[in-house]
Amino acid sequence: MIYNIVHSILRAAGNINGYGLFSFILFFGFFIGVLVWAFALKKNYLNHMGDLPLDGGEKNSTDKTQSDKL
Amino acid sequence: MNVETFKYDNRIVRAFAIATVVWGIVGMLVGILAAVELFFPGANLNLQFITFGRIRPLHTNAVIFAFVGNGMFMGIYYSLQRLCKARMFSDWLSWFNFWGWQTIIVAAAVTLPLGFTTSKEYAELEWPIKIAITIVWVAFAVNLFGTIVKRREKHMYVAIWFYIATVVTVAVLHITNSMTMPAGWFKSYSMYAGVQDALVQWWYGHNAVAFFLTTPYLGLMYYFLPKAANRPVFSYRLSIIHFWALVFLYIWAGPHHLLYSALPDWAQSLGMVFSLMLIAPSWGGMLNGLLTLRGAWDKVRQDPVLKFMVVAITAYGMATLEGPLLSIKTVNSLSHYTDWTIAHVHVGAMGWNGFLTFSMLYYLFPRLYKTQLWSTKMANYHFWIGLLGMMFYCIPIYVAGVTEGLMWKQFNKDGFLQYPNFLETILQVVPMFRLRAIGGTLYLVGAFMMAYNLYRTAKAGQFEPDTEAQAAPLEKTVAPHGKPSWHRLLEGKPLFFTVLATVSILVGGLVEIVPMFLVQANVPTIASVHPYSPLEVLGRDIYIREGCLGCHSQMIRPFRSETERYGEYSKAGEFVYDHPFLWGSERKGPDLAREGGKYPDAWHYTHMDDPRSTSPGSIMPRYSWLLTQKMEVDTLPSHLIALRRIGVPYPAGYENGPAQKDLQAQADKIVANLKQGSITAEPDKEIVALIAYLQRLGMDIKSAPITTAAK
Repeated sequence: MIYNIVHSILRAAGNINGYGLFSFILFFGFFIGVLVWAFALKKNYLNHMGDLPLDGGEKNSTDKTQSDKL
Repeated sequence: MNVETFKYDNRIVRAFAIATVVWGIVGMLVGILAAVELFFPGANLNLQFITFGRIRPLHTNAVIFAFVGNGMFMGIYYSLQRLCKARMFSDWLSWFNFWGWQTIIVAAAVTLPLGFTTSKEYAELEWPIKIAITIVWVAFAVNLFGTIVKRREKHMYVAIWFYIATVVTVAVLHITNSMTMPAGWFKSYSMYAGVQDALVQWWYGHNAVAFFLTTPYLGLMYYFLPKAANRPVFSYRLSIIHFWALVFLYIWAGPHHLLYSALPDWAQSLGMVFSLMLIAPSWGGMLNGLLTLRGAWDKVRQDPVLKFMVVAITAYGMATLEGPLLSIKTVNSLSHYTDWTIAHVHVGAMGWNGFLTFSMLYYLFPRLYKTQLWSTKMANYHFWIGLLGMMFYCIPIYVAGVTEGLMWKQFNKDGFLQYPNFLETILQVVPMFRLRAIGGTLYLVGAFMMAYNLYRTAKAGQFEPDTEAQAAPLEKTVAPHGKPSWHRLLEGKPLFFTVLATVSILVGGLVEIVPMFLVQANVPTIASVHPYSPLEVLGRDIYIREGCLGCHSQMIRPFRSETERYGEYSKAGEFVYDHPFLWGSERKGPDLAREGGKYPDAWHYTHMDDPRSTSPGSIMPRYSWLLTQKMEVDTLPSHLIALRRIGVPYPAGYENGPAQKDLQAQADKIVANLKQGSITAEPDKEIVALIAYLQRLGMDIKSAPITTAAK
């Protein structure tokens, strides 16, 4: 009976079939999982990761790279 | 702590940097020629090699794979070494990657004008080149993973995730869509037919945009933006969500290129819904980029690198909002086949990819040459002229697209089409085509200014082939609290990470593609549809060679405005022998799905010789060479055998005699028809084969009652 109710609601909502429902549930579960995971990460870890590009390990890095010769 | 000293390879970065500048200019030049040909059809000088149909794929391939491709390799080879604190895994592989890629580009630049094409958009290159692409890509993948494995930094920064997703997904897409049956050294037929071929192609085509033009460039954004702004990314947490949501969602969106086509409705709906959901991660990424500059906007005013980046990220945001909106079926019913799509992709190509590439080049050259940028002022001029060029390109083409869409759909008060002559709708937008060419030229002028500025920068400085760096080697560490966390495990183990990313991108493809192949109800067969005759096969080959589908679709959508103009809407079962499908994605001329029997043979002959003699004002180029070139009858057996191998039911031995007899009989009939129209033609000329093919289009269901039978 519940199946029939769900089925008729989905059909009325735009003929949503099994493929659509499966895909939506799959993505929704995946997305919530990623969200939970991302928010469970520690602050100091995130800060370390964010800083990674700024330290390339170069021995002599000069960053005055603009001039005007025109 | 034991610190190791090592060197980053700058030579490979410089090589790809020069290549991206050179090929970028070439790609833009070809684009301008194509743009000019759309309002001045004689611009090809009546040379078949530079007609619109042949150089359109040359332009798209040059921009995507040569300009952006080399830009991507440049950025990855620079950033990956620094993020891994390791030199590239193998210098030999780096250079194999470089020279292999340039060889492929040259091969494309030669074969596409010669007419060697599969006709599948952004996958036009014929099978030997496709194999070369696979080999070079594998070399790149080995080099990338090898570098990741020998890294001295424990964690994999999010940019590397994007690079991994790119490597894996492009490989999957390329191999799946390249399944072809060779019929000679430079001729092959897609293994898939009709609806299935269309789905695989646009699953590929859309994700070529996603995983060649977007994900690697997002990785580069996450590296170069913090470097240029000298501050970490706004939210690393958001970048994680951005990555996973994006790679999972993108792969599903392909069917939005086939809305209202003969593709089953469920696949269209999936494509639409997942495209809409893409707004969320895309805008998450855009905001993450722009917010990285919080408190640093004063730098943006002075630094051309940041200026280019801000526009690039904004263009990414605009394109990724517009893309999902264009995927809504109602909007798509207006926009599809029009220049709206062209405007949309140019916001992405010129704004996102172009400007981000320019910003990386301005960032890298002074650092590679240990000097300052020769002229910041000139770079600023480049910024403004490039931006103006983009505006002058995109705005007129948006206007053109909407105008075309509205005119095609307009009915008068009596219920007839307001503009029944297709040509009228195109002539209306020709002034926009002219403006577009001006915009493209401005953009190219900017690129020349950049090339000169970079050249002077290089001349003024001293190239540093290797940059010395120091870092401690990666030690095997034990997690302080016993078991390592899920996240540490994931990004600490590249293989595990790669497997997960691969699964994420495979799910969408499998859910959409597998049922399309396995459930026969998706392609209801039509009893009266039969394979092409030998002469029609040769004609179809010519249609493919000339790139006719660059301007003519073969897919009538189920709208009254289309059925009134073209006839019965297209059915999935009509295309079961179409290897490859030729639905097209753009209409600069009318749809040809029901072209058969519309005009006499003599009309086609005259029209192909000079389109303006039958359609005054037409923007179609002349195809006079078809009147003099002989058709390649010698290749017929190999073509028929290849088609039989992939399921077209030609009887065994048909190619050894009977096919040639059928071909001759049909050609003689066309020649006789032409004679009635006072045209003397020889039966062995290419025009005869092309006329045979054009007169066949749509005739299967025109000539017989529709007896749709789902098996």
